[in-house]
Amino acid sequence: MSPPRLTGALRSFSNVSRQEDFTEEVYDLKAKRLKRQERFSREGLTWQKIVQFFTQHLEKKEQQTATQELKNILQAAKQIVGTDFGQEAIESAAVFLFKTFYSKDQVGHEETRAIKQMFGPFPASAAEASCAAVGKVVAQVGESLVEAFVQTQSSSKTPDRGEPFGRNIAFSFDTYVLDSQDTLPWLEESEEERGLDF
Amino acid sequence: MAGARVPLDERHVTEIGPKGKERSLPALHPERKEERSFLPYKPPLEDGSPAQVEEFLEHAQFISEDLEWLLSLPHDKFWCQVVFDESLQKCLDSYLRHAPRGLDPALLSSSPAVADMHRSLHRSMFMVFLRMATHKESKENFLTPAVFGEIIYNNFLFDIPKILDLCVLFGKGNSQLLHKMIDNIFTQQPSYYGDLDDTVPSMIQVLDMILEKCGLQTGGACANEPLKLTAHNPHAAMTMNEEDLVDLVLYLCDTCSTIHSFLDIFPKACLTFHRHGFLYRLVSFYEVLIPELEKAVKKRNFDKNLQEDLWRRVSHSRRRMVEIAHLILHHTCLQPILEGSENIAASVEDLLQSFTAFLQEKRFLVDYDEEFPVGDDISLLQQAFPHLDDTRTSYLLQGVESAWESLGRRKPHPVLPMTSHQGAE
Repeated sequence: MSPPRLTGALRSFSNVSRQEDFTEEVYDLKAKRLKRQERFSREGLTWQKIVQFFTQHLEKKEQQTATQELKNILQAAKQIVGTDFGQEAIESAAVFLFKTFYSKDQVGHEETRAIKQMFGPFPASAAEASCAAVGKVVAQVGESLVEAFVQTQSSSKTPDRGEPFGRNIAFSFDTYVLDSQDTLPWLEESEEERGLDF
Repeated sequence: MAGARVPLDERHVTEIGPKGKERSLPALHPERKEERSFLPYKPPLEDGSPAQVEEFLEHAQFISEDLEWLLSLPHDKFWCQVVFDESLQKCLDSYLRHAPRGLDPALLSSSPAVADMHRSLHRSMFMVFLRMATHKESKENFLTPAVFGEIIYNNFLFDIPKILDLCVLFGKGNSQLLHKMIDNIFTQQPSYYGDLDDTVPSMIQVLDMILEKCGLQTGGACANEPLKLTAHNPHAAMTMNEEDLVDLVLYLCDTCSTIHSFLDIFPKACLTFHRHGFLYRLVSFYEVLIPELEKAVKKRNFDKNLQEDLWRRVSHSRRRMVEIAHLILHHTCLQPILEGSENIAASVEDLLQSFTAFLQEKRFLVDYDEEFPVGDDISLLQQAFPHLDDTRTSYLLQGVESAWESLGRRKPHPVLPMTSHQGAE
């Protein structure tokens, strides 16, 4: 809990701040993850496009293996997101796993963090399984081809973003602290006793 | 988008609407806002478990990414988000309310990951506030100043408590930038002076509340009333429970630091404080409270570390109060005198009256004189305003000497009126 603050009192006593509306929605981590998943699902690459890509780039005899690996990715996605949000959410999660692992050999710290940030706590086995399945299916067509495909699809709906505001503004992390120069000497003799002046 | 050199508030944009048809919208329009769902800030827990640290990092990472996204938006999109996204305003406000200050008893946890994340958040937050306080970002990207003033005021993008929080959180190392920001805010929207006018009595109320908790005032005293000597329990600081005393000292420390940083960064506010008699309230507050608090911190039986921390906080508060008094006097009286303003006689009278009022508050007067010698200011007055009444100035200087003597303290520098001086600062 924050220590008592002047500005806290001013927000309560004076009427110069917006009154808090407790009925307004406040987002938590769970809601934020859902929003992020929704946004991700609108970013261009879809599960259908991934399936189509492998269908187009593989011979018929190779397609059976690819189909099995893609099913494994979907299965892992299902374990991660659950079934509460339907097939669309599962497919979107499968796309996320595909994008996360298409150029990775194993589930590293970064990948674990990315999955957790998107979906919350998840079974490690599902991440391992999806990583392995993505690796196998990508190996069938070659990583460079997949890379080009993912880049094309992902950039199609990503809006242009400029240089962040303030990038070249010098910022200091200095902060007010209790300065030892301010600290007065500790005098045992009470000033009250010495300071009587009639 | 409409041609350049048109203020954002007058521009229109053509976009594809939800039904797939092209439509024209004002550049500042709620439908141009993106659904981003900013998370409110939560401070890291002191000595949090690994799971709590991880949760903080995840939470902060979301905020950090969202702020980076916001700062990368083009000017028009940035303002749509700022004006129409409630979740963003809640996020910014929660940071100002809850972000740890350098003066808080326990700063960030020892985890380097938490510290790194917090630094990144801290910077991004500041940049968002800086961008919100800037009505002209470039030749092409700007808002009509009056409209900018309305937007920030009507949407509570800035308010007085937020401005105070900004000063205490970022002011130490970024005072020049903050000064420009706050000056621009008050210049483009003078209603903030009105709000400040409404807020100063609440600050006085906070001082009264602290006194009341120490049993030093029965409450209800207004700015010009003398403090009541017949309080319920004049030694409450000695007897209240330890937690309450710690909270009280923390509150005092925060109050003094916040007001000081604000006046230091935005000295134009000194006039409003002075008009409310804040200086006199502060001085009598100091005189009554500080000896009680010092006694309580010294005599009560505390853990040694806590006792040292409380002593440092009381000392820090003392110093800030003396500096606040000097800032107010300097910017409302001394500076106009030095600049030769029209009402120089009024400023001289005001300064002399303030010093005369200090004579009754001996502890304060001595601490003030030690830091900002009254003799120097009198000497300055004598040069700037030759008609100064010598009897009055001698009375004041004798009063200062007498205050030192009555407290049994030795003055570091003797008073030498009419000698060379260093100026008011």
